[in-house]
Amino acid sequence: MVVLASSIVSKSGKVLVSRQYVDMSRIRIEGLLAAFPKLVGMGKQHTYIETDNVRYVYQPIEALFLLLVTTKQSNILEDLDTLRMLSKLVPEYSMSLDEEGIGRAAFELIFAFDEVISLGHKESVTVAQVKQYCEMESHEEKLHKLVMQSKINDTKDVMKRKANEIDKSKIEKTRGGDKGFSSMSSLGGRLDSSFSDMSISHGSGGGGFGSGPAFGMMSDVEPINTKAKDRSRSSVTAAPKSSGMKLGKSGKNQLMESLKAEGEDIIEDVKPTGQTRPAVAAPTDPFTLTVEEKLNVALRRDGGISSFDMQGTLSLQILNQEDGFVQVQIETGGNPEILFKTHPNINRELFNSESILGLKRPDQPFPTGQGGDGVGLLRWRMQRADESMVPLTINCWPSVSGNETYVSIEYEASSMFDLTNVIISVPLPALRDAPIVKQCDGDWRYDSRNSVVEWSILLIDNSNRSGSMEFVVPPVDSSVFFPISVQFAATTTYSGLKVNGMIPLRGGGGTTPRFVQRTQLITQNYQVV
Amino acid sequence: MDKSCTLLVHYDKGTPAVAKEIKEALEGNDVEAKVDAMKKAVMLLLNGETIPQLFITIIRYVLPSEDHTIQKLLLLYLELIEKTDSKGKVLPEMILICQNLRNNLQHPNEYIRGVTLRFLCRLKETEIVEPLTPSVLQNLEHRHPFVRRNAILAVMSIYKLPNGDQLFVDAPEMIEKALSTEQDPSAKRNAFLMLFTCAEERAVNYLLSNVDKVSDWNESLQMVVLELIRSVCKTKPTEKGKYIKIIISLLSATSSAVIYECAGTLVSLSSAPTAIRAAANTYCQLLLSQSDNNVKLILLDRLSELKSLHREIMVELIIDVLRALSSPNLDIRKKTLDIALDLITHHNINEVVQMLKKEVVKTQSGELEKNGEYRQMLIQAIHACAVKFPEVASTVVHLLMDFLGDSNVASALDVVAFVREIIETNPKLRVSIITRLLDTFYQIRAGKVCPCALWIIGEYCLSLSEVESGISTIKQCLGDLPFYSISEESEPTETSNKIQPTSSAMVSSRKPVILADGTYATQSAASETTFSTPTVVQGSVASGNLRTLLLTGDFFLGAVVACTLTKLVLRLEEVQPSKTEVNKTVTQALLIMVSMLQLGQSPASPHPIDNDSYERIVLCIKLLCHRNDEMKKIWLESCRQSFVKMISEKQLTEMAELKAKTQTTNAQPDDLIDFFHLKSRKGMSQLELEDQVQDDLKRATGEFTKDENDANKLNRILQLTGFSDPVYAEAYVTVHHYDIALEVTVINRTKETLQNMCLELATMGDLKLVERPQNYSLAPGTSMQIKANIKVSSTETGVIFGNIVYETSNVMERNVVVLNDIHIDIMDYISPAVCSEVAFRTMWAEFEWENKVAVNTTIQNERKFLDHIIKSTNMKCLTAPSAIEGECGFLAANLYAKSVFGEDALVNVSIEKQTDGVLSGYIRIRSKTQGIALSLGDKITLKQKGSS
Repeated sequence: MVVLASSIVSKSGKVLVSRQYVDMSRIRIEGLLAAFPKLVGMGKQHTYIETDNVRYVYQPIEALFLLLVTTKQSNILEDLDTLRMLSKLVPEYSMSLDEEGIGRAAFELIFAFDEVISLGHKESVTVAQVKQYCEMESHEEKLHKLVMQSKINDTKDVMKRKANEIDKSKIEKTRGGDKGFSSMSSLGGRLDSSFSDMSISHGSGGGGFGSGPAFGMMSDVEPINTKAKDRSRSSVTAAPKSSGMKLGKSGKNQLMESLKAEGEDIIEDVKPTGQTRPAVAAPTDPFTLTVEEKLNVALRRDGGISSFDMQGTLSLQILNQEDGFVQVQIETGGNPEILFKTHPNINRELFNSESILGLKRPDQPFPTGQGGDGVGLLRWRMQRADESMVPLTINCWPSVSGNETYVSIEYEASSMFDLTNVIISVPLPALRDAPIVKQCDGDWRYDSRNSVVEWSILLIDNSNRSGSMEFVVPPVDSSVFFPISVQFAATTTYSGLKVNGMIPLRGGGGTTPRFVQRTQLITQNYQVV
Repeated sequence: MDKSCTLLVHYDKGTPAVAKEIKEALEGNDVEAKVDAMKKAVMLLLNGETIPQLFITIIRYVLPSEDHTIQKLLLLYLELIEKTDSKGKVLPEMILICQNLRNNLQHPNEYIRGVTLRFLCRLKETEIVEPLTPSVLQNLEHRHPFVRRNAILAVMSIYKLPNGDQLFVDAPEMIEKALSTEQDPSAKRNAFLMLFTCAEERAVNYLLSNVDKVSDWNESLQMVVLELIRSVCKTKPTEKGKYIKIIISLLSATSSAVIYECAGTLVSLSSAPTAIRAAANTYCQLLLSQSDNNVKLILLDRLSELKSLHREIMVELIIDVLRALSSPNLDIRKKTLDIALDLITHHNINEVVQMLKKEVVKTQSGELEKNGEYRQMLIQAIHACAVKFPEVASTVVHLLMDFLGDSNVASALDVVAFVREIIETNPKLRVSIITRLLDTFYQIRAGKVCPCALWIIGEYCLSLSEVESGISTIKQCLGDLPFYSISEESEPTETSNKIQPTSSAMVSSRKPVILADGTYATQSAASETTFSTPTVVQGSVASGNLRTLLLTGDFFLGAVVACTLTKLVLRLEEVQPSKTEVNKTVTQALLIMVSMLQLGQSPASPHPIDNDSYERIVLCIKLLCHRNDEMKKIWLESCRQSFVKMISEKQLTEMAELKAKTQTTNAQPDDLIDFFHLKSRKGMSQLELEDQVQDDLKRATGEFTKDENDANKLNRILQLTGFSDPVYAEAYVTVHHYDIALEVTVINRTKETLQNMCLELATMGDLKLVERPQNYSLAPGTSMQIKANIKVSSTETGVIFGNIVYETSNVMERNVVVLNDIHIDIMDYISPAVCSEVAFRTMWAEFEWENKVAVNTTIQNERKFLDHIIKSTNMKCLTAPSAIEGECGFLAANLYAKSVFGEDALVNVSIEKQTDGVLSGYIRIRSKTQGIALSLGDKITLKQKGSS
């Protein structure tokens, strides 16, 4: 038996709802249904009509006709059964049996019709079953939701920690260069790419960052490789949960599930990470160790050092109270010029003999908390240095020729350090226009408000240990160009101090706790006077 | 084939549904609003407004929704949207949809899985389906039968896609495995169906290995089994034997649907008498056991099919078939009688007639409303039997004659016609019939039946006693003379009382009436009104039926009475030796005739006597006064002879029809013979390739296309623009039943690219454009084909206007080329049809629209003109050819046709040849709708000149 379509038409011939079960063109079905009211004779005691091509089996319901369009070979007994079934369903879904009522319930009726006939074949269902199928109340779904919820709760902590790690490494990536990448690479490739995606979209300043569209873009990038991956995986392992492109929230749960299945740690939704990154990251790792050296240097404009002062600190930040029982194993570079001073509470002997920083009273934990920079453990200083120890020297040669002043500036960097974000600010006389820059290694910028020309070099390494810049200004006294102030940062320090590991004092697990180490050398006041 | 359409929902254009509103609602979080917006989006889409920007909104905001209703609506939306671009490539956005579907297929909610799988059944794009296949397969093992059921169907649909077997190489194997473990009946059915459609031999294997269990299987599964058997036997007729046993076992199934299907299968498989007998028996049993009228009617259809193929077997079952007469439904009874009449043989005629007689008697007792019609049907059936087998006439004719006085005019007429025919063909019965007729004559009350009965009396009263009793019967029925006394006072109350109501009824019902030969006649409606006012008749029964009728003004009856008397008197002259007796009778007859004439001219009569009847009565008077042999011969012999001729002619035409019927079933001598085994599957027309069921489906879905004559096709090309226009266009118009397809070929004749070229069409009449026009660009000198579909909803001459609009690069404004009008011919929609004369008359009286066309033609011959009209209007002439034979200078005929939309078209042609040889007259067209009357009138006006 083949039912072509089940429809409801009004007595006037208006097609209210029709659901087709076989392929037929719109013009065809509309034609069939339009012909029907004309064929319905009055006063007949049977309710079927045969034309050359089809048979209509119908049933009047108040001002409407419920009808099935079938082939002529179709089994009339079954069709009548189906029709009876449908006629029982119509009042279930439609409030009133008139055009308006049917119009309002049109889609519900279509859903119900779908349950009774599939691909033109009658399904043996009862009214109650159809209702159940249409309501779609699934016990399994509820169960699944519960399980999911508990799973989410269970893994929330893990997720948080992981996310913190990512944050931190993120910061290091932006501040400290290459180092950050090493920790990043431990994460899945997909995550990696999504991160790069995120930063791109952020960098372009999109206002909708982190919301739906950004995710859409991300998945647009991916489909080809994931599709292939998915197929191969599911056909081989037949793991029910595999992941492809995920859209918005609905994909989240399954994404996590699938990641889990792939043996990866679960990472919390990337969204919050992306949002918090621009603000200075709140430390989320259990241990953060910061090695910082600050330079206060004054160089003379005709060479030589006027003053040199380097101050170094090692600070420890512990997130959780219970992690406070630790000792820190460090290694110093062995620079004889540097003298270390420990915090009064630190066991000095232990440090001198084994380079281990621990509290004098081992039963006390290190102070914890997120505020500030943590607890200073160690300080050091270096005050005497010759010119070879200075990371960067500047040579400035203003020379007047006619009614112009030519200024040539030259830098020379020590091979000890790779400097990043170098900015050399040269004060200028009050000028209306920017100076004419004849030549420049790197970038320059004129700050007209402060009358300063800023020469910036992103990175100074072995490829550009020296560089120069030349610009022309109206004739002025050469002392105007001083003092030149310099800013830079480096990841190597004078002291060469390194944290080798954390030694837990309690909970005797053999594994060393994870920690994050940040090392940097920054300028505090670096001038050529 | 056009894009398939999966659902229709009535869309009220009045409701404002702005894309923006929908979009906002979709983006919001309110589930209710979202559902509403989704519904609107689907309806807009159905209405042809695609709103592409909505699609991306839906992907962004609706796809992630957790709500089930939204998900289901989304599936409907996806069903409808265009999934490919203009080149047939899948849109890139679909990959997102794909992901969503995949999630749905792994959804914890089994119903979501189920509906998604069902959606996949409707998906045609392999690219979208491909990544989903693994998930579909997983669902085959889902715990819930609802999911499995749909998963199996999805597998089937995907497998059937082009290259689908590549996606699921081992699908049949998996389904077979699933089938063996499956418990859910519906899923099992689907699995078997899948095997049946995709891997028939596996299905056959499964069936054969489970032969014993078939009878215990679920009803729906059994149905598929039968379908499979039919299909297998079509391709491998040699293996029929294996399956017959299964069918026989299913014949005793509990479900009547299965039994019905079984019988059908049995008939299609075998033409062995036992098989046919079994099938026919099954049908007959179902006929009795099923109470539903629809079922009965369709069963009767099946039986009549069987009858035409295997008459000899059906003959045995005639009594079983006749049992269906117990149903009160007239349609069923009629069909039953039709079948039974064809099955009558010498052996069963007595039984059949016995049964029919019983039924007739039953109609007398029961007071059912349809009894009259049913009785008429039965009488006609008995009549037909008696004509075929005259020996039974004696047993029925007396019974039937009881119905001469039936209040149902139609059945009484049938009876009298039957009697008339029997009395001629069965000379042995003459005496008994005549005595019976004379005995019952006074009961006849219908004005239409009386003339016929009188004619019989006049013709067949041969012996002295018969003639005498005939005359006395008539006299008795006429009552005391005169009909009208000049002394009005004697019975003034009687006449005025009697006549007043009828005359008033008559005035209102007086109208032009069409006679059987198609001419107009101003006929008094007295015969009908006598029955509409039965109280008058009742009151005057005592005074004789003929008198009553005459008093109501039926002077045609008077003329018949006069003729009958004349005939009887002339015959009396031959058989009566006594001259005085004859003269006495003559004077009596003359008196009667004269009083009739007197009545006709008196003011007491409702209307004066018409000239025709008057002359006829006067002729009879003259004849009786001057009797001669020549006249006697004409009156007594020629009359009878012409009747004999009519009957033999009727028999001849029946024979001819029968002959024609048998002839058509035979193959033409030069027909191609198909050898099934030599059939190659290529290069054959669809008709030969597809089996019956497939064929049936194809026809129903409109996919069926006949091979058309190419030359014919060229004739229908219409030129739309001139050769010097910048755009040349011509259209090829195909008229299907409910739609018109225009294939427009457009050629760019300029040296520039035409941009945004658009074919805009507008229609007049009952035509509707289906799609909106699309924009194209056309390179210089190239051509393209544009297709447009137009929906037709009634038969009417429609006109399609149009223009082609385009832009060129240097001129910014739009250029317009106006196209020729395309006229849609009404002739494509009407086809000749037959209806009974009675039906024609009732329709003629009912229909509101009449179009009268004056005849204006160069054709000189009436017959030729009629033939020309028939040919040019594609109608069927209802008037019998014998009725329009001969040359008499005038002609009237009724034509009839039916449109594909079921509308009736009636035409009456009345023409007269003027003395100068020119034809004049009118053609009247009547129909229920204005469209047909007007269009057909235009057509006739156009064609009647007859230039060709």
